[in-house]
Amino acid sequence: MTALVERAREAADRIEAVERRGLHAVLAFDRTVLLEQATKLDAAPTDGALKGLVIGVKDNIATLEYPTTCGSRILEGYRSPYEATAIKRLKQAGALIACKTNLDEFAMGSSTEHSAFGRTRHPEQPDLVPGGSSGGSAALVAAGAVDAALGSETGGSVRQPAAFCGIVGIKPTYGRVSRYGLVAFGSSLDQIGACGPDVQTASRVLCAISGRDPHDATSADLPPLELPEFPDDLQGFTIGVPEEYFPDDLDAGVRAGCGRAIARMRDAGATISPVSLPHTGLAIPTYYILAPAEASSNLARYDGVRYGPRYAPPEGDVQAMYRATRGVGFGPEVRRRIIVGTYVLSAGYYDAYYRKALRARWLIARDFEKLFAGGVDLLFTPAAPTTAFRAGEKLEDPIAMYLADVFSCPANLAWVTAMSMPVGRAGGLPIGGQFIGPQFGEARMLQAASVLERLVDPAAEAR
Amino acid sequence: MTLSRKDVERIAELAALHVDEAQLPQLTQQIARIIDYVSQLDAVDTGSDAATWLAKSPPQPLRADQVRPADLMRDPTSFAPAFREGVFVVPRLAAMEDE
Repeated sequence: MTALVERAREAADRIEAVERRGLHAVLAFDRTVLLEQATKLDAAPTDGALKGLVIGVKDNIATLEYPTTCGSRILEGYRSPYEATAIKRLKQAGALIACKTNLDEFAMGSSTEHSAFGRTRHPEQPDLVPGGSSGGSAALVAAGAVDAALGSETGGSVRQPAAFCGIVGIKPTYGRVSRYGLVAFGSSLDQIGACGPDVQTASRVLCAISGRDPHDATSADLPPLELPEFPDDLQGFTIGVPEEYFPDDLDAGVRAGCGRAIARMRDAGATISPVSLPHTGLAIPTYYILAPAEASSNLARYDGVRYGPRYAPPEGDVQAMYRATRGVGFGPEVRRRIIVGTYVLSAGYYDAYYRKALRARWLIARDFEKLFAGGVDLLFTPAAPTTAFRAGEKLEDPIAMYLADVFSCPANLAWVTAMSMPVGRAGGLPIGGQFIGPQFGEARMLQAASVLERLVDPAAEAR
Repeated sequence: MTLSRKDVERIAELAALHVDEAQLPQLTQQIARIIDYVSQLDAVDTGSDAATWLAKSPPQPLRADQVRPADLMRDPTSFAPAFREGVFVVPRLAAMEDE
């Protein structure tokens, strides 16, 4: 057995072991599929940048090897006739596609409790959530079962679970990575992102999947991102700390962890500058108008004809069949968002909600644009207002769940890049710090993160 | 504003979404709460600046209008439940059978 096949076999053992222990981060896995990829890679050696890297893929990204269910009954067993550009590029770089990972249904949620196939546990404390919606990807990386994973972001769905699970999660600039093969939720917000145990690994995955793709008209006309040189210190970096991300009611441990990280960055030569993003408070209401509006349109295709199993009432016309199919096939959070989205787009309410939110989005984006044009290289904030919360705690209160995205969704609304990384622990649980960079400013953001990674001990309690 | 149960039924109808009678009270209460929450944008003066900023947005990159074959990696016959003479065969709907 070659080293590559042995590596794949060990990964398969780890995936099976964590699933046996009840992590439930995986929706589809077949060790034969993984070992076959490794054997094939051995037979046609590549010097790809990710050779032999074992990768989990969020189950809203189309793969040929496994079904693509989006964590929904309405796509149960669905096999895509094509694979996502990101998957094709991972394979070209020599990566092995190990499994499909659990998620909130259609990526709508912040806890991975909204999966139709059962919730993913937090990798350290099973009664807590791993965050979401890419909770399966983050938990699997944190548990050490795979080398890296793909997630997707619409409002923080890579960064927030990365923060909860103590790993690195990167949301690229909108347009940096092709959305071809990513099942659409909010098309003006969606991006595929990278999860890894450290900055270097997550960065390598991001570089491999980035670059212009003719299949996605919204992908930027740019070559693939190159892995930047990682500097020794932060000389020459101006890092803004926006006051709106440190409110009085911020979790004390999160505040202490981020404060310590900021102090270390100052010691490493960064200029730390207090700044303001005055429209931050508009982000959650803006996001929860625009994202459901786009979702209600994108999810219209799941009607029992174009996709999905069909639930036809014994009597009734085609409309009755659509209603029955969608009523049975979608879970409670998806139903809520479709109804909210349909409402804000409906005659008489479009201007009051949807158009208003579009304008608010410009204000939020302009806040970032002004700071980055004014000499700030990066922003540093908490990635989430708390550490991982208890399963069931926010399930019946959608607004409380939505507020878990308060520090992450502004970057999606502003089309900029951002990432989460571990900066310590509070009460024994990981704290996520967040860098936010300008559009297509990933290289400098990854450089700063690589330095901070060396400066903070992710296992140290923040006080 | 507060949404009524009738409002939610009407929106669900527009969204082609069946909602069980038993779920309607809780769903109405949750949707009303969400709409009340996002309505805080009403109070925000978005002014005319937004349109100016939009005009500066970079243009979308476009590709040449060339017809190319569909990029399917699997033949439709391998994933469709039934595929005959170049078309997908789907179950007939009861209402259509009567016509």
